[in-house]
Amino acid sequence: MPAVSFDHVCKRFGETRIVEDFDLHVEAGELLVLVGGSGSGKSTILRMAAGLEAVTSGSIRIDDRDITRLAPRQRDVAMVFQDYALYPHMSVRDNLSLGLRLRKVPRPEIERRVRWAGGMLGIDALLDRKPKQLSGGQRQRVAMGRAMVREPLLFLFDEPLSNLDAGLRAQMRIEIGALQRRLKTTTIYVTHDQVEAMTLGDRIVVLADGRIQQVGRPIDLYRSPQNRFVAGFIGTPPMNFMDGSLESENGRAAFVADGVRVELPAERITALAGSEPRTLGIRPEDLRIAAGSGSLTSATDAPWRGRVVLVERLGGTSHVHFDVGPHRLLASVSGESVPEVGDVVDVQVLPARVHLFGADGRV
Amino acid sequence: MRAEDRSGWLLSAPYAAFLLVFAAYPVCFALALVFMHWDLVRAPSFAGFDNVRLLATDTRFWRAVLNTFVFLGIHLPLQIATALTLALALNRPLVFRAFWRAAFFLPVVISGAVVAILWNALYATDVGLINGLLARAGVAPVPWLTDPSLAMPAIAVMVTWKNVGFYVVIYLAGLQYIPRSCQEAIAVEGASAWQRLRHLTLPLLLPQTILVVTLSTINGFQLFIEPYVMTGGGPLRRTFSIVLYMYTNAFSYQKMGYAATIGVALALIIGLVVAIQRRVIGKAEVQ
Amino acid sequence: MRLFVRAALYLGLTLAAITFIYPFLWMLSSSLKPPFEFGTLALIPGSITLDNYRIMWSRAPFGRALANSVLVAGTITAAVLVLSSMTAYAMARLRFPGRRALNAATLAVLLVPGQLTLIPLYTLIVQLGWIDTYAALIVPYLCNATAILMLRQFFLQIPQSLIDSARMDGMGELRILFTIFWPLARPPLAIVAIFTFMGSWNEVLWPLLVVRDQQTMTLPQLLTVFALGGGAGTLGVSLAASMVLVVPVVVAYMFLQRYFIESMAGAGVKG
Repeated sequence: MPAVSFDHVCKRFGETRIVEDFDLHVEAGELLVLVGGSGSGKSTILRMAAGLEAVTSGSIRIDDRDITRLAPRQRDVAMVFQDYALYPHMSVRDNLSLGLRLRKVPRPEIERRVRWAGGMLGIDALLDRKPKQLSGGQRQRVAMGRAMVREPLLFLFDEPLSNLDAGLRAQMRIEIGALQRRLKTTTIYVTHDQVEAMTLGDRIVVLADGRIQQVGRPIDLYRSPQNRFVAGFIGTPPMNFMDGSLESENGRAAFVADGVRVELPAERITALAGSEPRTLGIRPEDLRIAAGSGSLTSATDAPWRGRVVLVERLGGTSHVHFDVGPHRLLASVSGESVPEVGDVVDVQVLPARVHLFGADGRV
Repeated sequence: MRAEDRSGWLLSAPYAAFLLVFAAYPVCFALALVFMHWDLVRAPSFAGFDNVRLLATDTRFWRAVLNTFVFLGIHLPLQIATALTLALALNRPLVFRAFWRAAFFLPVVISGAVVAILWNALYATDVGLINGLLARAGVAPVPWLTDPSLAMPAIAVMVTWKNVGFYVVIYLAGLQYIPRSCQEAIAVEGASAWQRLRHLTLPLLLPQTILVVTLSTINGFQLFIEPYVMTGGGPLRRTFSIVLYMYTNAFSYQKMGYAATIGVALALIIGLVVAIQRRVIGKAEVQ
Repeated sequence: MRLFVRAALYLGLTLAAITFIYPFLWMLSSSLKPPFEFGTLALIPGSITLDNYRIMWSRAPFGRALANSVLVAGTITAAVLVLSSMTAYAMARLRFPGRRALNAATLAVLLVPGQLTLIPLYTLIVQLGWIDTYAALIVPYLCNATAILMLRQFFLQIPQSLIDSARMDGMGELRILFTIFWPLARPPLAIVAIFTFMGSWNEVLWPLLVVRDQQTMTLPQLLTVFALGGGAGTLGVSLAASMVLVVPVVVAYMFLQRYFIESMAGAGVKG
């Protein structure tokens, strides 16, 4: 299984920069996820890897082979498209086998692989049907089967689950992950859905405006987002942000945002030396809520006093929206005792879980 | 009666009357004429199967049928190949795309009589443009319209030129429906441009190809003004079309019954040929 | 696309386009050439002469034929627009017994090749005594099945609410058709108008059958007769006559090409 290298890849269209300085090494056999909003350049990068878009500058290599200027057919990569791109006039069997037939693979081998893929994906009963007779989920599997039978160097997935309903999406996510682990094919997977990214990726690349924001394992992106964008993008529900500044006196420091204070512990203060944090971030799951005022006491933090404005009950967890000063924040609360709208509550912030971001990113 | 019924009848009455007089009656009368002798001067007389027997053994008629097949044998493949090539060439963002499409379509809107007269001049052995250009290349003048084996092919090329723009538009419309992602998928799967054409584009253009074949065939069987103007049916009756023969029988020989018989035979032949074509092409699709 | 391939493509297309346009330019220039220059390849005539046109105009009533064509094609187009709209409206929006039969008959008409009905229609014209009359040229074309089907298709899509509110205002069906449907139906009406007019303008076989008198002939018919009958003398004169027929069409085409293409291709497909 090969590794893939993107060396300072840029894509420009006239004056517009679509992808800027994309530099990344994809390990052999890993499932790398490119995630970002629309316009982030993620699909463009995938299509450049496939050869469907030209690279303006930089190079792409599979192991040591430079594929930057090669036509798609010369690259030995397989792609699963968002709309599956099944050939409407061919049966499922012919859809699966066309790539092999084009390469003059012997008949018995083609049949063996088609049977293998059909079995693994559970579509062997559908081999004689035409795409229009299949459901969305079945088409998606056929698209994956078509990629699999070629046993290519690289799998490219372009938002393959976007057109499926939520339940099917969750199920297919698991299957795709299991499949990739079994086949061990190097895979680049593009999605806008950060849940897909977090659950599927060995590593995730977060993209915005054509630039890499951060690369890392899911848990690293969650715990240490390198800038405000990544912090707000990864994690559901999204991180709470408050803009403000650092105030320090007598060796003690706190981040103050419009009258709301968060005391910072000593280690944090020394680590911050010289930098200027502008934004504080705290995840909803790192906020503790207790009903009624005065029920939380702690030596190191003064709890916030908040007024509950909305409670979304999801069953085991609830999302509590509350106001503290001018800020509207969200806390994730588990369990069944949950405050009511209008309640005044104490909100406790765990200082160790606080994220601080300056102008250039994380501090 | 309901107001809506009355309105419906009133509004469609002119058309219904028209259909009766100019559609239903002629079709029925055509069938009746098959069994009549009539020269429009004396009263018609019953002919029994005379016309049909005459048709079956009329070498001139079957010559005309053969001529039409010669025409189609050249016209159909040429039409499909040219229209398809031009449509494929135009099916991309191009700077002057509208201009080229308009250029190819121009002969379609021009009267067939004009095109016939024009190409009569182009094909003229001594002063025609084509032989003039060939002379530049050192080729002797070719008797396009006076050589029995060249005349019908020459007409076939001309009719292709006249109509190809029409079929380019039809193929272009069909090409719009081939999903872009399928074209990309087949490229990633390893198809060369030729393989993409063979496995994806052509199969998905089958409905359009059927249309091209059917319309061109019907058009070929209805050939009239071209031989009428350019060759008068010669040389050696090699360009005599079925409709020309029908017209001659009606206008020159005043044999209405026989002319009608030719018309009915033509309709039947067209129906048969088109049906066979659809079968054959349909089978090609299954493969 | 690589530059070389792209350049080759543009070159190929340009050559192809020349193949389609050049003959017309040659026709124009040849019509302006004196007889001794005829046959040269030069596009610009050495000496421009209007002799061919003068001869043509004096030998046959082309002006009259032009007027005839305009009259015939114009009348047919107007009639087809009105009558087809009426029928299409009735078939699309009114329920009356016989509607389905009428629909089937219209489709059936499209299947019948014109040549089948040509001779019986000719005999009918003879028996009506309509030889050499405008009636012979116009009446058999007053209704057009393709136009009806096209308009019917369009009329089916107009919301019922428009009709209902009009009826409540007391409008009769004809009023509804012409004041409400027609303004909305400009595109298909334009398409019908173009292919009907063009079809009639270019029609030759039928006029050749039913009209013998040069005064009543249509332009393409007169042109054909003239070119064949030896009245032309030289090819140059034939081409001059052709120009008269072609120039208005080409001018209209240059401005309206999108409508021409949409119209004639669309009608051909349905037909």
